[in-house]
Amino acid sequence: MEALRNAFDFSDSPRTDLMVVGILAALLVAFPLVPYSSFAMATMIQFLMFSIYGMGWNTIGGYGGQVDLGKAQYVGIGAYTTAVMLIRWDVPFWVSMPVGMGLAVGWSFVIGYPLFKLKGHYFAIATIATSLVLKDLFEVWDFVGAARGLHISPVKYPPPDFLRLIFREDIYYYYLLLAFFFVGILVINWFRHSRLGFQLRAIRDNEDVAKSLGINVHWAKIKTYALATAFVSAVGSFHAVYIKNIEPEDTMSLDISVLIALMAMLGGAGSLWGPIIGAGILIPLKSYLKEWLGAKAGLIGIDLILYALIIMLVSAVEPKGIWGLLDRLRRGRGR
Amino acid sequence: MALDVLVASLVAGLLIGMVLALVALGLTIIFGVMDIVNFAHGEFLMVGMYTGLLVAQGAKMEPLLTLPLAAVVGFVLGWMCYFLFVKFLLRGPMVAQLLGTFGLMLLLRNLALLFFGSEDRAIHHGLLVGKSISMGMGVTVPATKLAAALLAVTAFAAVWLLINRTRVGKALQATALNAQGARYMGIPTDRMNGLAWGIGGATVTIAGALLVNFWAVNPYVGLLFTMLAFTIVALGGFGSVPGAFLAGLVVGLITEIPGIWDSISLAVGWRWMMDVPMTSFKYTWVYLAYFIIMLARPKGLFGWKR
Repeated sequence: MEALRNAFDFSDSPRTDLMVVGILAALLVAFPLVPYSSFAMATMIQFLMFSIYGMGWNTIGGYGGQVDLGKAQYVGIGAYTTAVMLIRWDVPFWVSMPVGMGLAVGWSFVIGYPLFKLKGHYFAIATIATSLVLKDLFEVWDFVGAARGLHISPVKYPPPDFLRLIFREDIYYYYLLLAFFFVGILVINWFRHSRLGFQLRAIRDNEDVAKSLGINVHWAKIKTYALATAFVSAVGSFHAVYIKNIEPEDTMSLDISVLIALMAMLGGAGSLWGPIIGAGILIPLKSYLKEWLGAKAGLIGIDLILYALIIMLVSAVEPKGIWGLLDRLRRGRGR
Repeated sequence: MALDVLVASLVAGLLIGMVLALVALGLTIIFGVMDIVNFAHGEFLMVGMYTGLLVAQGAKMEPLLTLPLAAVVGFVLGWMCYFLFVKFLLRGPMVAQLLGTFGLMLLLRNLALLFFGSEDRAIHHGLLVGKSISMGMGVTVPATKLAAALLAVTAFAAVWLLINRTRVGKALQATALNAQGARYMGIPTDRMNGLAWGIGGATVTIAGALLVNFWAVNPYVGLLFTMLAFTIVALGGFGSVPGAFLAGLVVGLITEIPGIWDSISLAVGWRWMMDVPMTSFKYTWVYLAYFIIMLARPKGLFGWKR
């Protein structure tokens, strides 16, 4: 009950913020009502996916200050669990998604226990290492299609199939993901107010002090890491049924992990709206740049060059991201 | 017959290890001096590889003669990266430093993709290409690898001398030990940081120009070497130069284990061992090694920083 009340308690944000958020949420719900191109729809779905990934990363990376660059391995676990279960045993999405989350969380405990003995750079590099090891394994493991990956054939299941989530129109996927998105915001809001959330912030600010206050630092980090993992894995499962074609390279590569961390960083790590702002700016920018400059003008990689410049600028000028910038502006005006 | 394979693998591992040690040297110097991890390290290597390749092909030069040029390019690159970018990162939290150098990595990689395209390129000419030297016991070594290893050791020794036997080197060490104290003693620590990045860049581009003689280059080659360098630096101890050399040899040997495993399984003929060729996990072992080293001995073999 307490948890539920916390999840719906937004009273610590200024009223103007809540109004802006409410309007934006209404716009998101209403978006498919206006005529849209399929490209715009795909971009919106990408935006929602990455904001949920970013929310997950934000719990451990933003509130906890532990830079995790291995989130892609959980995208992979979620996606592969759903795809394998659907293809081999015809298990519906609503069963395979929780199974995938369970597997991912289990794996996160297995590697989280040793991982969190490391700090700072060492932790970040170790998360990359574990992610790469898992990717290497999946690239030779025949059961999951090795490097060829898996393909979910939509012909076998007459769409719309609400159990297996095989649809022809993207709009179904959009609304489903939007529901995930709102649930995600509520969970993060709960986390923010929970005991664990406060412990994590204490750890970020000063780990030694947190320890001396009696917080079990190691265990708090592992629990939060598991929560972050559950987020990422759920959307990973969604990725499998939405994209329908999964390979180790595009679910588990380092680029995905970095992108996830970047969304949250750009928007503002450690704030509720940060990852959403970050994804809202970067995803449309990326896909339209790729479309206009990459595909049409033949400049490969130009989107990522711009991306890289944004990361460098943000990290050098305003490490707290756009949310930090807004906060500073607001406080400046109030003074 | 099995002994041949073993000796050949050991020799190959040691030779590649010497080059890898040079790759990791820059990373350990930068980390030692200013506590920042450079994720773009492998991309610096890629820049060195492209420099060696393009100059050698464009000017029809002997590839090994491009080394001084690669060193200059690397030094300027490192120096510029510090003064135009990394300097500003130092004010921010660690998260910003990590992602900042990550941004640098993405930038260099995709600039290479834009200018040079994504295909593999390799050098096919030169004095040493295609020749091999017999080392006795039936072991033959490609001349390019042997030359690369020897030159890498030379460069390594030169940097060691620079750090341990010159005034600049002493200043660099002082900055590493205590930057504030060094500043009080009149050492321009900002310039020392820039120098560390310059040396780091120069050594790794030299390694790149050596590697390109027997290793094809594409814009994505960097990540593998970044991870290899991290592993070497973790094993040798963050900030330790002699540690980096020994750890380089060890990691070079680790990369040869899968090959030995496969030839043993071929010789013995056990089905279950041959089902999955270990060579496809060649670098997985290196990542695992990093993980295990960090847990078992976070300071590394010779580390003094934690």
